[in-house]
Amino acid sequence: MATVGTNNMQAKLVLLGDMGAGKSSLVLRFVKGQFQEFQESTIGAAFFSQTVAVNETTVKFEIWDTAGQERYHSLAPMYYRGAAAAIIVFDITNNDSFVRAKKWVQELQRQGNENLVMALAGNKSDLASKRKVETEEAQTYAEENGLFYLETSAKSAQNVNELFYEIARRLPKAQPIQPPSGMLLSDRPADRTAKSSCCS
Amino acid sequence: MFSRNCADRHTCFGLLALRFNYSPYLACRTAPRTCTSYSTPLGNFALIFGDDDDGPCYLPSYAPEKAEDDRDLLSSEGVNGGGADATSEEGTSEVQEFHRNEDEYPPSQSPSDVNGFKCISYNMKELDLDDDRRSAENMEGSCEQAKDSDIEVEPAAGNGHVEGYKSYASSECGGASKSGQGQDTDLLKRDLIPGKQHQNEDDSSAAWRRHKKHFFILSHAGKPIYSRYGDEHKLAGFSATLQAIMSFVENGGDSIKYVRAGDHQVVFLVKGPVYLVSISSTDEPLRALRRQLDLLHGQLLLILTKSLEKCFVKNANFDLRPLLGGTENVFSSLIHSFSWNPASFLCSYTCLPLSHTARQAAGAALQDVADNDLLFALLLSDSKVISLVGAQKASLHPDDIFLLSNFVSSSESFRTTESFSPVCLPKYNSTVFVYAYVRYLDTDTCLILITKNSEAFFHLKDCRARVESFLMETHVLRDISNSVARGGLRVEDLPAGDSIYGSVPRSKRVGTVGDGKASNSTAAGTKERPGVGGAAGLWHFIYRSVYLDQYVASEFSSPTQTPEAQKRLFRAYERLYASMHGAPGGSHQMQYRRDENHVLLAWSTADFEFFAAFDPLAEKSSAITVCNRVCQWIRDVENDFFFVGASPFNW
Ligand SMILES: Nc1nc2c(ncn2[C@@H]2O[C@H](COP(=O)(O)OP(=O)(O)OP(=O)(O)O)[C@@H](O)[C@H]2O)c(=O)[nH]1
Ligand SMILES: [Mg+2]
Repeated sequence: MATVGTNNMQAKLVLLGDMGAGKSSLVLRFVKGQFQEFQESTIGAAFFSQTVAVNETTVKFEIWDTAGQERYHSLAPMYYRGAAAAIIVFDITNNDSFVRAKKWVQELQRQGNENLVMALAGNKSDLASKRKVETEEAQTYAEENGLFYLETSAKSAQNVNELFYEIARRLPKAQPIQPPSGMLLSDRPADRTAKSSCCS
Repeated sequence: MFSRNCADRHTCFGLLALRFNYSPYLACRTAPRTCTSYSTPLGNFALIFGDDDDGPCYLPSYAPEKAEDDRDLLSSEGVNGGGADATSEEGTSEVQEFHRNEDEYPPSQSPSDVNGFKCISYNMKELDLDDDRRSAENMEGSCEQAKDSDIEVEPAAGNGHVEGYKSYASSECGGASKSGQGQDTDLLKRDLIPGKQHQNEDDSSAAWRRHKKHFFILSHAGKPIYSRYGDEHKLAGFSATLQAIMSFVENGGDSIKYVRAGDHQVVFLVKGPVYLVSISSTDEPLRALRRQLDLLHGQLLLILTKSLEKCFVKNANFDLRPLLGGTENVFSSLIHSFSWNPASFLCSYTCLPLSHTARQAAGAALQDVADNDLLFALLLSDSKVISLVGAQKASLHPDDIFLLSNFVSSSESFRTTESFSPVCLPKYNSTVFVYAYVRYLDTDTCLILITKNSEAFFHLKDCRARVESFLMETHVLRDISNSVARGGLRVEDLPAGDSIYGSVPRSKRVGTVGDGKASNSTAAGTKERPGVGGAAGLWHFIYRSVYLDQYVASEFSSPTQTPEAQKRLFRAYERLYASMHGAPGGSHQMQYRRDENHVLLAWSTADFEFFAAFDPLAEKSSAITVCNRVCQWIRDVENDFFFVGASPFNW
């Protein structure tokens, strides 16, 4: 859920997608500006927070980087419940990961949260020569399903900040405070603020 | 030899033998006794099935030269495939020098010569196709028997001299934790190459067969779930063979537990629809191998819970591997710990050395956040416990500590940021997931908060912040890293003797009787004797508090500072522990053994168990004196090395 303060808001953001699609890599690029060639598979879900500023509003993202491993699928609701935004990540060099991404979209749509901002990220755009999923195909799918689509590369940093800033921009400016989902939201100050602005 | 109705068995065991090229001898036991010889392109096998306890079965099989050849191939150390395992198993066969009392063993169990070549005899008691009507406890018992005959078959694993008193009924092997033996001296521990090695091998490659210790997990339908070496996919055929053996015996109402094939031991463990098998030529006691399989199963449960069994109910051919994606490191590091971490056989955990006040402060920090949502709070330094709190009167089993800390430490991804993951604590409750909040406070120190509430993340995040700031303010975090840097107990630091404990150790430089200024003279003594270790040639020791279920191991002193020496010592302790706990007529209270590598001393009382290794030239009387002193020493510094605030585990 997104909660609004005077000029800042807090938004829960979840990343979903097949294992190896690059969810952790995208988050690490966004939060820490790093990329690792040998990123270890995530266990359960890792939590990050990062604050961005758009149009005089600061948005503090509380980011759940979930594990794509199959055994965690059934536990995904635990992490996406109450999310204000979701990034569904696939690997453009892997068609199965695109199939998997569509399944995540369906699952989220079934939750019936109209306010949920959904992004589809075709990651590993630096590996264009190995591309298996065409841009148009993903673009079309995204449009039909009310997502916005970006091709990203955690490795080269292409479109990574854009992805998160675009989400921040699309978050509804004001949202009715939803009944607490059971999670206690901590009110701790942001760990750090992103240095870069949107189009770095 | 003669066969009766056991074509299938022959096929099974023959296959096993063939696939491994082992096996001059194979034996097992099941209800009807049958023997047969079995001809293969590699030679003849003799297989024996039977249930009488009345004497040995002789199993001459291969032509002896052939057997030698094969064994050479399998045990030659230098050819070890790719390095990962090169140091992980020793192949040394120790010469048991002393004190063996031949009278202790029935003649039927002696190695004998039949038909001109050496033949291993088995007393049927030892053989391990067990009736599954037996309860788990009894199964343990039968392992112990098998262990005993192991000793007989292989002098290397021989039982030591029984020094005195008898029969201290071993308490059930309760649990374990991870522990290093000192950050700076434990070479074996650092050996691990993360991830699966030798991925490209399979059972057709010689390199694969040469590995000294294989572990397999498979489904009762024969589908591979995990293999330590090689690609599970390619091992489907091998897996099916193991499955064929196990289910064949199961169909007869028995369960297969153990097959000895030349230098190799094949140990089986059935856990519902999951079969676990180890094949090793490491000469470890059966009891230890079984426990390793049990821990392997526990690790599987920790990742998936017991509900994994439901998958097989719906579909016997279910492929479990996809559900274990990304866990190679967890298993490889667990298996690696079987060759360096004493917790793997001691069933106890070990603590980071810390002053009593610092540990109390850490405990208070954890206690402070304990509430209804918190099931356990565990502060670890690497695999060593700093403090732990069980809220709601729950207690954390040492096995669960061991498996959890292995799971966390072997998964790099926990180090990146805070995470919240479902895990199952098999001894606590093997059927459900609980949730672990995991956060490293610095490179070694890790806080794990366990909850049943899947929504408690933010609460636990707050708890962590409180614990962390408390530990910072009270400088406990600094104390912790100092302790990590300092390492554990060193044999060189043993205070000098006290007249109460008898004569002066062999090395007279280490203090004098009744010398109050112990530490000075000890320090001086060590300087003068570089590379000798502690008093009376003491090299290393492990002290386990029975009551606390914790142990402390000394740092490795200079004579044991090669991986080979440490591995040898580790295996020696493992055997010693098994022989202290596993003897059929009850356990021995004290043992003294000497071989070419060390003098080993084991001592077991109602309060503690003590294992020590000395220079092979150490004198027995001084060794015993020193052991007494070490035990006294440890009791004096108990508060720094044990978490005494813990209520005793009650399971
Ligand atoms: N070339 C290239 N490699 C990438 C990119 N993003 C991620 N990778 C690599 O892909 C692999 C998997 O990346 P992760 O970030 O771990 O994938 P994940 O989606 O978090 O995977 P799970 O945690 O298992 O669900 C790693 O080896 C990364 O280095 C990218 O943009 N370009
Ligand atoms: Mg990840």
